[in-house]
Amino acid sequence: MSWRRIRTLIWKEFVQISRDRAMLPILFIMPILQLVLFGYVVGSDVRNLNLAVLDQDNTVQSVRIVDGFTSSGYFTVSARPSSDAQLKDALDGGQAVVAITIPKGLGDAVRSKRAAQIGVIIDGSDSRTSGVAAGYAAGIIADLSNQFYGTGGAAMTAGGVNAQVRVLYNPTMRAVNTMVPALLAFILLMSTSNVMSQAIVKEREKGTLEQLFVTPIGRADYLLGKLLPYTLIAVAQLTLTFLVGVLWFQVPFRGSLLVTGGGLMLFMLAALGIGMIVSLMSRTRQQAQQTSMFLQMPQMMLSGFMFPIDALPKWLYLLTFLIPLRYILVIVRANFLKGSSFMELWPQFAMMAAFSIAIFLFGLSRFSKRLAD
Amino acid sequence: MQLPWTKTQQTRPNTSGGDGDAIVVSGLRKTFGDFVAVDNVDFRVKRGEIFGFLGPNGSGKTTTIRMLCGVIAPTSGGGTVMGYDVVNEPERVRENIGYMSQKFSLFQDLTVDENLRFYSGIYGLTPEKYAERRAYILRMADLEGREDELTGNLSVGWKQRLALGCATIHEPKLIFLDEPTSGVDPTARRQFWELLNDLANEGVTLFVTTHYMDEATHCNRLAFIYRGTIIAEGTPQEVKADLTADTILQIAVDRGEEALAALEELDSVDEGYMQGSLVHVNLGRRGAEDAGLREFLVDRGFEVGAIDRVEPTLEDAFVHLVTQQGGRA
Repeated sequence: MSWRRIRTLIWKEFVQISRDRAMLPILFIMPILQLVLFGYVVGSDVRNLNLAVLDQDNTVQSVRIVDGFTSSGYFTVSARPSSDAQLKDALDGGQAVVAITIPKGLGDAVRSKRAAQIGVIIDGSDSRTSGVAAGYAAGIIADLSNQFYGTGGAAMTAGGVNAQVRVLYNPTMRAVNTMVPALLAFILLMSTSNVMSQAIVKEREKGTLEQLFVTPIGRADYLLGKLLPYTLIAVAQLTLTFLVGVLWFQVPFRGSLLVTGGGLMLFMLAALGIGMIVSLMSRTRQQAQQTSMFLQMPQMMLSGFMFPIDALPKWLYLLTFLIPLRYILVIVRANFLKGSSFMELWPQFAMMAAFSIAIFLFGLSRFSKRLAD
Repeated sequence: MQLPWTKTQQTRPNTSGGDGDAIVVSGLRKTFGDFVAVDNVDFRVKRGEIFGFLGPNGSGKTTTIRMLCGVIAPTSGGGTVMGYDVVNEPERVRENIGYMSQKFSLFQDLTVDENLRFYSGIYGLTPEKYAERRAYILRMADLEGREDELTGNLSVGWKQRLALGCATIHEPKLIFLDEPTSGVDPTARRQFWELLNDLANEGVTLFVTTHYMDEATHCNRLAFIYRGTIIAEGTPQEVKADLTADTILQIAVDRGEEALAALEELDSVDEGYMQGSLVHVNLGRRGAEDAGLREFLVDRGFEVGAIDRVEPTLEDAFVHLVTQQGGRA
């Protein structure tokens, strides 16, 4: 092994990357694109829901209730029906997805500290929207109730909505807050395994791999010359994603760089291992691309990246334990948002380390065996 | 850092780098599963020789070279290259050889200069040495003024010469050339062989595989490998010696392939094959006049042109040797 040769290989790799029109976008546009897409689309909050208001009370209190809804930012008043029939039309016609009815006498009830009720009607045809809307409405009403009666006086209840809901750690329920930490791990996985396998397959396709092994370059030289540049690139991508997440998307970072960074570095071993395995399974760059895509899908679905895994059928749930992404997601999310320490996260660390090291060593051994014949 | 695959190398008494033969191979054998790629091969290559290693595709040429370069380990047997043991000292072997394959595996997305700098870094040239070699190679490859061009944009002849330059940037005393001229036009091939002759004149040993028989005549000595076994070895004259008493006829005939098939049925024809559009037949020790080939072909409706007796070529020798092995070239 020679540091001079490794340095030469690293220099060569960077010159090649800088010239590769297919590689550059993958390296630097993809992370930004993913961040923007996942951050704004998947991670977007349900905001500006159309609200129909039937206010039969018209007192200071009823106006404050409507204000409470609109000032939250989640609702905008789109219709003011004057009867139950009109209210139903507004919901049926899609002018509103949520409606509130404030009965006559609500103001009196509040002033004399008697129990009061308002009705909240939600269009349940879009389960995602309706679930979120119910949560928001409950939160707003609980808030108002506190203002009207002081804490402890839960005398005001909304029709069918549990006003006791309280969301921890992510009080505004900004989906982007859970998305950005997860994206750190996801981008690391996708780009490292993808780019690394591309680079190796390309070298074999062009016949340069064959040439390198008749020079004094040893296998350890070659592998370090490949792994180090892509490790550096991954670190750059992670830094970029982290900064955009914290500065642009305003995701609060309450964790430690050591725990999040250390976890991600450990997880990178799995990504590099997968990259090597993909490169062995593929003859052309296109094949490598397809193989990567094929492996991405289950990891995305079964890791908790986009969908919660708790609700999965038992057999599918058991499968998720085999996906290292699952553990790193728990680690980055918990550390990022809650500041959970290594001591609290060690089971995840242990599982992930075991899988990452196993995948990395498997990839490495298959890879160096392939180089030998 | 000790990685799992790095072999610990024991230091051995230094018998290396002496004045012995450039390559000594004994009992070299390589199997892939049940397939025997190279079967107990023995040969020697003297220093300063141009050694031709000939054989059809899949006969074991490249496998042999890869073993000699220390890239793959032999199943059994072994050899020394420039005095270093190919099994125990593959790294020393690779420091002391140059290798160029038919793909002239340059980095296409690197410039001419960057390719040179890369190989200079790999072989650890000093800056002064690099400057000197760079100037020499650019002149040799006729690439002066094109240092910043992407290698992928060069045409084949230039790529080939640059590849030779990169493979020899560390001035090895032995160069392996695996079909270096395949896919290159005749002019570029001739220029390339001039470069190889220059190297040979400087005392560099060249180990060349080719399937162009006319190129084999440039070699001082040849070995024919067929199905993993060396079936003939010697100077071009020695290899052809077997045939000099034979009668070899060159026949100009229409529908050559069909004529060849018909002729091969004849008892008087030992071997036959196509040489371009001409048919070559070997009649063994029989005289040409006895064979009656013209009548035979005319009777069968072929239009026969000139029939000439020719000196045996290496190609004739090769077909002869392969036929003796019970195969077809």
